[in-house]
Amino acid sequence: MNWPKGSTASVIDFSSPRHRTKFGYLLMAPAVILMALIIVYPILLSVDISLQDVRIARVGGASEPWTLANYRWLATSAEFWNAVFVTIKLVAVVGGVSLAIGLGTALLVNQRFKGRSVARLLVALPWAVPEVVAVVIWAWMLDSSFGIINWALQVSGLLSAPVEFASNATAAFFAVSAVMIWKGYPFVSIMLLAGLQSIPEEHHQAAQVDGASTWQRFLYITLPGLAPVIGVTMVMTTLWVFRDFAIIFVLTRGGPIGATSTLSILTWEQSFGFFRMGQGAAVGVVTMIICALISRALVGRFAQSVH
Amino acid sequence: MSKWKGIANTAATAVCLAALALPARAETLTFVSWMKGEPGYGDWWNEVIAKFESEHPGVEVEMTKVERSTYADTMFTMFAGGSPPDIVHLAAFEYQPFADEGWLEDLGPWIERAGLDLNGWAGQETCEWKGQTYCLMLLYTAYIFAYNEQALNEAGVENLPSDWESFLDAARKATRDTDGDGVTDVYGLGLDTTGGTNMMHDMLHFVLDAGGAWTVDGEPAFDSPAVVEALTRWKTLVDEKLTPRDTPSGDLRQLMVEGRLAMRLDGPWIYNILKGAEPEIAENLKLAPSPFSPPVGGTSNVIGMPAELAPEKKELVWEFIATVASAEMQQRFAQLGSSPAPRPGLDYTKEIETIPYFELFAQANDAAAAAGVDRLPKGLEIEFNEVAKVVHREVQGMLIEDRDPAETGQAIQTAVEAILQ
Repeated sequence: MNWPKGSTASVIDFSSPRHRTKFGYLLMAPAVILMALIIVYPILLSVDISLQDVRIARVGGASEPWTLANYRWLATSAEFWNAVFVTIKLVAVVGGVSLAIGLGTALLVNQRFKGRSVARLLVALPWAVPEVVAVVIWAWMLDSSFGIINWALQVSGLLSAPVEFASNATAAFFAVSAVMIWKGYPFVSIMLLAGLQSIPEEHHQAAQVDGASTWQRFLYITLPGLAPVIGVTMVMTTLWVFRDFAIIFVLTRGGPIGATSTLSILTWEQSFGFFRMGQGAAVGVVTMIICALISRALVGRFAQSVH
Repeated sequence: MSKWKGIANTAATAVCLAALALPARAETLTFVSWMKGEPGYGDWWNEVIAKFESEHPGVEVEMTKVERSTYADTMFTMFAGGSPPDIVHLAAFEYQPFADEGWLEDLGPWIERAGLDLNGWAGQETCEWKGQTYCLMLLYTAYIFAYNEQALNEAGVENLPSDWESFLDAARKATRDTDGDGVTDVYGLGLDTTGGTNMMHDMLHFVLDAGGAWTVDGEPAFDSPAVVEALTRWKTLVDEKLTPRDTPSGDLRQLMVEGRLAMRLDGPWIYNILKGAEPEIAENLKLAPSPFSPPVGGTSNVIGMPAELAPEKKELVWEFIATVASAEMQQRFAQLGSSPAPRPGLDYTKEIETIPYFELFAQANDAAAAAGVDRLPKGLEIEFNEVAKVVHREVQGMLIEDRDPAETGQAIQTAVEAILQ
């Protein structure tokens, strides 16, 4: 290129050690800006709305002055504390049972046997079915009056009256838990299967030579080897239970009498059911903070266990 | 040179004329509705759109279906996001928050400019919010009694129910296990117990029949004797398993179509749905006046326009609304919807002759209107969804924990008063 006479234009040499990092930042800039737009902006918007005493927030519209009224409502709201309790219960039940079933099925399909490929496919199948489709089918099956599960239980003589899955608080909670476990355990299983395959076979062979029993090999080789994978998997399962909306919404809408009303259901209900978007955003922000703390604690703990 | 100049002038003139002959601008009006594809009302909308498009060459109305269950959420999201549909279609009980937010255009000046006389327009007063007119009422209707004659006859119900006692008796008799497998095959009654506004409407039959209302002079009256009586009746019907549990209105209508429900109180729209039953079932599906007095009635759905719309689009949307309000389209509404249109002064002789239950619908409308019944309780317009949630929660508590209806009524009253504070 011919620069005009007298011009003092300078060219940055990105290959020089001095400017190499700048080139890195330059390459990352589009991705960072995009991330900021699609992740950080909605979070900031939620925080902003949660600090306004508004029923309906309008993007780009005039803002109300900031207030802590929505957070004060949270602190005194029986619905919020009920949602926290239900969410924790659901995380414990769904996370625990999914881990148990996922680990069991992962250990099973990690063995060599005829038909292993089909077994692996069947284990992973619920994960592959779109959530809403699966839940609608479950809702039909669990229908109190005409569902096939109630019909089978009554015809087989196990029950004399149908279980009202959406009208009985205990039954509704366990129906929601069961569907979430059905939908969630394949993910745990797939992750743990990958973890199992990364444990060197030599460790097991050496332990076997040293006379370790199957249980001891599982306890001292398999489990420690799986710990980081279990950690990540449990973090992801916990976050999934926290944020999952479709399963509960389709099955029970949070009812009956709040038995399945989780934080995500409460967020939707306040924001779009009652159009109290300030309060809904406050529930969402608190949920996000709880999720961040849980993630940090679980990841940190399992990372330590590796070392 | 002059020859080329002449050709150029001619060409320029031709281009200008061609441009004038074309529509001023290709324009699309967006229109979201839950009625798209519905038998009856959906067909009527198709005709309205076709007529409007034929009268406005180059203008297209793009109708999109959004399910009723998520309709209000979708519309709020569209408005809050700054991209509402050009033609606003809402339920009569949900437009108020939109008007309250200043999202809807005051149609008063448009109505005045067009000289549209809305005197006697059924339910139009519901479109008045804080002194302004935000919509045009599309339907005021009353509930009627749908029943399966064969199911009632086989159950030994000789006469159609005419009051609460005979209604309960019929529901008890008609709830049957027809094949002896221990599972109920036919339910006597279909009540929407899933919560929300439909459950409120289904409960309202008993409230009105007991001589009460959800609100009195705009104040909540959930602890009144009439509401307590209605709660008692509801508890009886659900506890005795005379209705399928947790089944929404749409599914209840489908059960009726399949012959698995003997009775249902519903709007006139059920007529078009029941026509879709298999012939051997359809011949037994009939309609009659509601056994309760006065019948549940009220405004159904409205049309309006967003406040923040380009002036030229507002003109087009108003012309669309004017098409809807025209005598021709209102007459077609009555024919296709099988129920009286809100526009006064229409001649229904032909409809009465050709549509079996048209007169029944008209009489039910008159009865509900004469009693001043509206499904949307006055004073609870903005908080209706929240109130419905409270009612659902407390009624579920009453059923699950076997609570006293009077105690439940008091709990609802306290919760609703807290919402209104």
